[in-house]
Amino acid sequence: MVNTRCVAGLAAWLLLGAVAAAHHSVAVNFDNSKTLNLSGRLKEVDIRNPHSRITIEVRQPDGTLKDWLVEWSDRNALVRRKVPFQLLRVGDTVTINASPSRSLDNLAYFRTAVLPDKSLLRDCGFAAFREAIANGETVECEPERAK
Amino acid sequence: MSRTRSVSVALIAVSAAAVLSAQGRRAELDGVWILAGTAKIDMTLTPAGEAARAKYNYLKDDPAMRCIPASITRVMHTPSPPIEVRQRAGEVEINYEFMDVHRRVPLTPGLTAKDAPYAVKEHPHLGRSVGRYDGDVLVIDTVGQHAGILDTLGAPGLVQSDQMRTEERFIPNGNRLTIIVTHYDPVNYAKPLVVTFNYQKLPGGEILPWDCTPDKANYDKFTPKPN
Repeated sequence: MVNTRCVAGLAAWLLLGAVAAAHHSVAVNFDNSKTLNLSGRLKEVDIRNPHSRITIEVRQPDGTLKDWLVEWSDRNALVRRKVPFQLLRVGDTVTINASPSRSLDNLAYFRTAVLPDKSLLRDCGFAAFREAIANGETVECEPERAK
Repeated sequence: MSRTRSVSVALIAVSAAAVLSAQGRRAELDGVWILAGTAKIDMTLTPAGEAARAKYNYLKDDPAMRCIPASITRVMHTPSPPIEVRQRAGEVEINYEFMDVHRRVPLTPGLTAKDAPYAVKEHPHLGRSVGRYDGDVLVIDTVGQHAGILDTLGAPGLVQSDQMRTEERFIPNGNRLTIIVTHYDPVNYAKPLVVTFNYQKLPGGEILPWDCTPDKANYDKFTPKPN
């Protein structure tokens, strides 16, 4: 079995805009043409179905704190794709790159996260997963280490 | 051996070989499958179907926000969660990871769908189903589906009436599986709605619990952005 790293998968995810990763259409709910960086302390990491939810406390320009909820793939998909979501730890300060909701405030969809050690956590995506399976390979979405 | 008898024996042998071949191909249906690409949807809505779709608001109308599978088509449109097919004596068991849908379809000769039990006892709105084989193709007929939302993902906002009849054809092809779903609903579709799903086998795959809870599946606590 060949172990496929997920760089190509990440590119595909970004290109395809994670068409339908959760139980609703990601493309309908989130504007994949836009991204924002949310830096702050992780308050809650709830890796679950039908979609994972990460709460991050972000300091605003006026000094106040505001909670953002970042949605992510369903738990079962993350487990199958061997995404090391355990690296998202409550209390850590991270920067999450996400696409904002089209219609709801303080809601976004996860793209990548810069962890405290500066490594980049991402999801290979379903397209890369199924392609690997078709080729008799496995996917392991290891974080991209800081250079 | 007379010529007539020889021909009869040969025909029986050919028929038996065909049956064995079909049974061998049917066995290919068993396994855990993931979508191999985006489903193809062929739809022509009636004015009523168009009007209903125009009113659709996923934040309010999507049954998945309440952890309810709108339809089997909707369930299959979710790309990541696999499905499992297990053919048994007298029934076929189809397990869909999305929303923990466990479906039992009797293969009882002579049984019609309207007289069959609910295929998913926890979700009677998914109707009553009966299965049969057409050569190596598994065919499932379903009636008694409740009026409501049919799809929220492949084609968001499609609806169905309680008159809808559905035929699914499970076509084996080695490590590939095609499921063609045809919905006959004259209220909402001017011609049958046909959705074609292509699957690939997931070696060593298993169906995991979904455990959806409505409080984590909806957006009720969020504030709409100002227009």
